[in-house]
Amino acid sequence: MTDPIRVMVVDDHPMWRDAVERDLAAAGFDVVGVAANGSEALARFPAARPQVVVLDLQIPAPNGVEVTAEIIRQDPSARVLILSASGEQADVLEAVKAGATGYLVKSASRDELLDAVRRVARGDTVFTPGLAGLVLGEFRRMLDGPPSDGPHQPALTERETEVLKMVAKGMSYKQIADRLVLSHRTVQNHVQNTLRKLQMHNRVELTRYAIEQGLDDDADD
Amino acid sequence: MDPGWSGPAAVAVKDRLFQALAILRVVVLLNAIGLNLYRADEFTHPVGVLVCVLVMAGWTGYATWAYAAPARRSLALLVADLALAIALVLISPAVKGGDHLVSTIPGYWVMAALLAWAIHYRLLGGLVAGVCLTVADLSVRQDFTQANYGNAFLLVIGGPIVGFMCESLQRMAAERDRAERAAAIAAERARLARVVHDGVLQVLSLVQRRGHELGGEAAELGRLAGEQELALRSLIRVQDAAQSTPNHGTLGLGAALGALESRPGVSVAAPATPVELPAPVVTELVAVVGACLDNVFRHVGESAPAWVLLESFPDHVEVSVRDEGPGIPQGRLAEAEREGRLGVVESIRGRIADLGGTAELSTGPFGTEWEFTVPVDPWRAPLTDQ
Repeated sequence: MTDPIRVMVVDDHPMWRDAVERDLAAAGFDVVGVAANGSEALARFPAARPQVVVLDLQIPAPNGVEVTAEIIRQDPSARVLILSASGEQADVLEAVKAGATGYLVKSASRDELLDAVRRVARGDTVFTPGLAGLVLGEFRRMLDGPPSDGPHQPALTERETEVLKMVAKGMSYKQIADRLVLSHRTVQNHVQNTLRKLQMHNRVELTRYAIEQGLDDDADD
Repeated sequence: MDPGWSGPAAVAVKDRLFQALAILRVVVLLNAIGLNLYRADEFTHPVGVLVCVLVMAGWTGYATWAYAAPARRSLALLVADLALAIALVLISPAVKGGDHLVSTIPGYWVMAALLAWAIHYRLLGGLVAGVCLTVADLSVRQDFTQANYGNAFLLVIGGPIVGFMCESLQRMAAERDRAERAAAIAAERARLARVVHDGVLQVLSLVQRRGHELGGEAAELGRLAGEQELALRSLIRVQDAAQSTPNHGTLGLGAALGALESRPGVSVAAPATPVELPAPVVTELVAVVGACLDNVFRHVGESAPAWVLLESFPDHVEVSVRDEGPGIPQGRLAEAEREGRLGVVESIRGRIADLGGTAELSTGPFGTEWEFTVPVDPWRAPLTDQ
């Protein structure tokens, strides 16, 4: 853990970009790149090789959701932390489906941001209660919707639902662990699993769409 | 006059009508030629009739070209069109000869001029052209027969009716155009608002963040910016919900609860898809959640954190309100009951029961948590709309 975490900051507002960059650098992170829009972000990503991309959703095209998907495609080990001002719910959910593992609103404090970057870099998921509510709602929707999802229909285990619900009610991982008599790590694993299932379902859906449209030849990978 | 008559929508309607009229012109011309050939042996001046028919054919070609472009549809063209038709009617007795004029040389061909006036000058145009043609037609008849009367009647009635219909078509097209334009403007305004809102939210968040770090007076500024940020964000949520729910009688519960985020410390989690319920149910649920939050405000602290979670199921919704305060003291509920007054807790239970739902309260040193379960009748919501 002696090497500083490599971070890239993508935000179209110069003030914000500078503030976040300054905070990260002051806290000992290595800011390996900044970008003001989607195309800059994708152009600089391969050379900068950041571990964490701190990404604003509302950026000039390609938007945050597309950038997230492309970054994860190029480097599945990269982590995307969404930092959004307006927190448009549909966009946040799409970004998480595309592979983002963290979400913060911009009103979060400096310490919350630094903590979130550290946790996302470790492979943890950073959930706000709002995001947990969105993900929970998405699983419910898929469960209640028409059975078109067939055998790929993802479902949460009872325990996962319970944990996610507690996150949505604003409980910390520690509080949940105490309440359910589980280890902190186990709670984290449950939360991560819910996201993984959602992202996997998204990939399956995209692949099936590609096959149906005849766009992809090697869709099995 | 209505400003829509020369608008692009009205002109587009006229274009289509004049295209149809061009075809009609050829049909009535062929009809006139055929009838005149059939009666050629009765004519006093066959050459005169031939000249008249050639003039009609020439004018038909010219008029088709002239009416095709909106810019050429001038008063002069329409007057010439009508004048030629009247002139042909008036000279018919002299050229055709005979004691009893059965039909004029142009015959039904005059219809083209009448309809042109009805299309271009609408009801009034149809009436003027109809009356002019009728007067001309009747002036050349030696006797007033039932057939003559029928023709005259059709001209005077048909002109205004067709004119009225053209007017209605143009009006509807103009209205549709206006509605489409209004929708496009609204969509563009919403897009711009989103961009502006995002920018404002960015700045407010930044001020809030830096303010806290700087402390002192700046912290106060930061706090104010934070309040405005919450207020704006919940306003956007409510606006989005209003735009996406055109249904009468229902409201989006998620958006309505989301507006509660403007209270300090409150965080609301809801599904991304709208949760539509009858408006009274939504209003009451939001009011009850508001009462729970008031309680948090009173007993835990003014900006104590509180969390609201909405979950939607096919047959019911679940709303929970949680805080991390000291919980409701054991004795207080019993005390309220002893004193015979309805405590806040019982009031909340009662209001949820009135909605046909259940309310569960868990309280302890971990805090206080309400869980409301309210049934949703999926068949009732659409029925109340009708």
